[in-house]
Amino acid sequence: MVNLTINGKVVQAEEGEVLLSVIRREKIDVPALCHHEAVEAFGACRLCVVEITRQEWDGWCDYVTSCLYPASDGLIVNTHAAKVNDLRKTIVDLFLARHPKCPEIIELAAEYGVYSTTYQTVVDGDNCILCGLCTRICDRMGFHAISTVGRGHGKEVSPPLHKAPPDCTGCLACAQNCPTSFIEYSAAKGFLTIWDKKFELLKCSGCGKETITKVFAEHLCQERKIPFEYFQICDECHRKQLAATMGEITSWDREAAS
Amino acid sequence: MQLKNPKQLATLQKKYKAAEERFPKKVLICCGPGCLASGAQKISDKFKQVLKDKRIKGFSVEALKETGCHGFCEQGPLVIIEPDGTFYTRVKTKDVEEIIEMSVRKGETIDRLLYSPNGDGQRIQRYHDIDFYRHQDRIALANLGKISQCNIEEYIALGGYQALAKVISSMKPDQIIDEITESGLRGRGGAGFAAGRKWATCRKIESDVRYVICNGDEGDPGAFMDRAIMEGDPHAILEGMVIAAFAVGSSQGYIYVREEYPLAVVNLQKAIEQAEEMGLLGDNILGSDFSFKIRISRGAGAFVCGESSALMKSVAGEVGEPRAKYIRSVVKGLHDQPTVLNNVETLATVPVIINKGADWFKKIGTKKNTGTKAFSLVGKVRNTGLIEVAMGTTLRKIIYDIGGGIIDDRPFKAVQTGGPSGGCLPESQLDLPVDFDSLTEAGSMMGSGGMIVMDDKTCMVDVARYFLGFLVNESCGKCVPCREGLYQLHALTVRVCEGRATEADLEKMEKLSNQVIIGSLCGLGKSGPNPLLSTMKYFREEYLAHIRDKRCPAGVCRELITYEINDKCTGCMACIAVCATHAITGKKGEIHVLNQAKCTKCGACYAVCKHDSVVVS
Amino acid sequence: MKNRFIVNPDLCTGCRTCELACSFTHAIEGLRGQTRIYPLDGGFKDLWIPVVCLQCDDAACVKSCLVDALRRNSETGAIDLNQEVCVKCMACVAACPFGCSVVDQQHKLVVKCDLCGGDPACAHFCPTKALKWNPIEPQTRKVAV
Ligand SMILES: Cc1cc2nc3c(=O)[nH]c(=O)nc-3n(C[C@H](O)[C@H](O)[C@H](O)COP(=O)(O)O)c2cc1C
Ligand code: SF4
Ligand code: SF4
Ligand code: FES
Repeated sequence: MVNLTINGKVVQAEEGEVLLSVIRREKIDVPALCHHEAVEAFGACRLCVVEITRQEWDGWCDYVTSCLYPASDGLIVNTHAAKVNDLRKTIVDLFLARHPKCPEIIELAAEYGVYSTTYQTVVDGDNCILCGLCTRICDRMGFHAISTVGRGHGKEVSPPLHKAPPDCTGCLACAQNCPTSFIEYSAAKGFLTIWDKKFELLKCSGCGKETITKVFAEHLCQERKIPFEYFQICDECHRKQLAATMGEITSWDREAAS
Repeated sequence: MQLKNPKQLATLQKKYKAAEERFPKKVLICCGPGCLASGAQKISDKFKQVLKDKRIKGFSVEALKETGCHGFCEQGPLVIIEPDGTFYTRVKTKDVEEIIEMSVRKGETIDRLLYSPNGDGQRIQRYHDIDFYRHQDRIALANLGKISQCNIEEYIALGGYQALAKVISSMKPDQIIDEITESGLRGRGGAGFAAGRKWATCRKIESDVRYVICNGDEGDPGAFMDRAIMEGDPHAILEGMVIAAFAVGSSQGYIYVREEYPLAVVNLQKAIEQAEEMGLLGDNILGSDFSFKIRISRGAGAFVCGESSALMKSVAGEVGEPRAKYIRSVVKGLHDQPTVLNNVETLATVPVIINKGADWFKKIGTKKNTGTKAFSLVGKVRNTGLIEVAMGTTLRKIIYDIGGGIIDDRPFKAVQTGGPSGGCLPESQLDLPVDFDSLTEAGSMMGSGGMIVMDDKTCMVDVARYFLGFLVNESCGKCVPCREGLYQLHALTVRVCEGRATEADLEKMEKLSNQVIIGSLCGLGKSGPNPLLSTMKYFREEYLAHIRDKRCPAGVCRELITYEINDKCTGCMACIAVCATHAITGKKGEIHVLNQAKCTKCGACYAVCKHDSVVVS
Repeated sequence: MKNRFIVNPDLCTGCRTCELACSFTHAIEGLRGQTRIYPLDGGFKDLWIPVVCLQCDDAACVKSCLVDALRRNSETGAIDLNQEVCVKCMACVAACPFGCSVVDQQHKLVVKCDLCGGDPACAHFCPTKALKWNPIEPQTRKVAV
């Protein structure tokens, strides 16, 4: 355990634990758009920036992303120093210039008092903020179906060659975790479509409700040795089935007792 | 043949040296990238063809060498006759026979092919006497232009791999690190980090696996020092790497080369095979129990992949994006193992330091910046090419003495150093000693050593726009301040160029630049605004002229200039022929007329006019 | 583990107090959460089965989670779902053979019984003691019924 100071308060943390998790434990609000505990910290949005210093630094300060910076003894952290606020404001301003129609960004910018960008609005700016959560989570799931392509200002997220990704299982983890809901998918009539790839959805043999895609279920069966029958009925019918079984057993007890 | 111990290497050196001495005379044909582009291969083939059926006493095809870049690319193709160093420039295939007859057989010089500094008929015979070479100090580039490209025998004959033999037979790893630390060698890749300290840190970390990587990405536009070394003297890099590996305790190394350098890849690969065959690389080097293997890793040629963490990701086969380096890559680098990453030039310098000693090396350069640094000197100087000078040499000396001053004796305006992350320095900084610290202090950077000289016809706002544009495309696009911030800085600079900016925009540019610097993840973003900030600092009036007077003083920014034809026009019709929009009319012999409404300001007429009659206003 | 969760269907009257308790306990910012316990019709007269996570030893949910969001809590014995890590892929929801990993539509979360971190609210509130949170005798490791 190490002792560090956050906004004037001495707090404890594990040595090497990233500052963001200490900050969140202290219930201090620091924005973060590219962070997710399921994947390694990335440091792309730069919103979680904080000011750090140490006694022995003689007043010199550094600006680091708290999602990546490890806690250490004697560190002095200021999550809302003037320069930090300024930088965050610039970042949301830049975001707003690039994604002028994105509701999440508009809302975030307003929190920082930015109601219209001071920079040049990017004409064809879409809502993908390039936080890389989708690609990283997809990698973490073990599929590697999508990735960022290109670099610089023209970078984008895409399946290989902009074609339906062969390795996608339709698990939807990318879309579920997109902070701006930019990744589109549709489910209709027993099929799910995402990244231009169409998947058959499993149908509950009890009530007909559609659950996950067949490809994803098959992947889980194979990789994690789960019997395929488990996937053939939905959670609700599973519960009913359990109640019925337990009911039957209990009824034997009752009969025996009477 | 596998060498079993250092002694065998010494014997071999004697043998190769004797073989070299069989021929008192040698013909060196520069086959560096510049000379190849101007036709060196054809010259060499012609030599071989002619020599095939000629018998010359004390000379044969074996004394003909295709060497690496000799440096003076602008004068290529270059042919040098050793031992006296007769220096033939701009050689053509039709000159070959004459060279063989006159120079090789008879030992005479062909005046016409000698270098003429002022084009006034005065000619210089030996290259050592040419200003371009006279003021240079060559360590990393020492073998370039002297030995055949990737020929291990010639490299050994010149004392190659002796440093390796020395460390293996008589030095402990710590001694090597001390020697390098003592020499003061700083990384030549840009940041100037002390090589010895990096090695020492790496060695200290507990780990079974450590890596040594050579950074041959060289993404700066205009720079080609590393390329020249990789193509022309690959063994020096290998030797440096093996020594580094021995010092830090690594058994696997990588050389990261960009795909755009196919010859470098081929030559390095060849060199690796040659060295492995002789037991100078691979298992049980020189019969010791130290083993080290090197693999080549090819990069897709992204500028950002030169950045250490992006490079390591790329080597590992992932997307080449930087990561935050709160834990440095010496500690946790390739595959999360301790890794030493050094630049090509840094590594090529290592064997020389081991051979000649830290004390010798320290005497060159300045106290905190020892040794030499290679630059590619390009732009509006008379002599362009590859140079190497002692650290602390002034910009003036480089530009005027080595570079021969500005073309057409126009006024010097600025010199850009450090590539896209560097900055532009004005005339007032000409006496600045060129070293890591001075350049950084002046608002520029050493970078990997690009040096672009600009004259008064260069618009500094336009220069900033060019570099920002480069970075907008070359940023990896991961973090917001760099991806979006540089984009907006570029957009603002374009506004200045087009005369649409206000003085408030200048302030905004300054502020945003500073935010990009503190906010960006890696060195690219952190130094990206440098070209803008340095030009705004040193050439503020030029920005103000664009903003206040809507005028581009250098006559470059299209939106702010008009072309006119004055009465010097002879009516030669050259401009009419090149104007794509038919904006110029006129009869032969009569003064032509330019229709402003049709003019797109492409500048073609300006470039083609021989009578200075197309003018910019 | 000091306690064990006991379900005795014989005593369940289907009053659904447990559901309420669960839902309130798992409220987020004042908004009631999805219940993790379901008293369901047992198929016989007056027979109710409170269906709740069995915290299986070799749990299908844990196996199905590709990002390790589900882990056994050694203190409580529950399989805890770490919301910060969960990527909402629905694998566990689909895989659990007892339907005990469920979707909280309101909060857009996947949730499951966490034994309230070691003090299950449902057991507290169950008026008939059909649900109990009983200590395990340290020596015998037997549960008092
Ligand atoms: C954007 C960027 C590009 C870089 N490009 C190169 C390069 O092309 N070649 C190089 O040797 N170093 C480059 N560097 C520096 C490397 O990160 C690293 O510092 C260097 O290779 C270390 O070797 P040295 O200590 O021998 O200089 C670059 C750095 C940054 C931030
Ligand atoms: S500073 Fe630029 S190049 Fe570096 S990580 Fe950020 S976006 Fe990529
Ligand atoms: S929904 Fe969440 S907890 Fe369930 S398997 Fe997916 S990631 Fe794991
Ligand atoms: S959360 Fe995005 S940079 Fe830290």
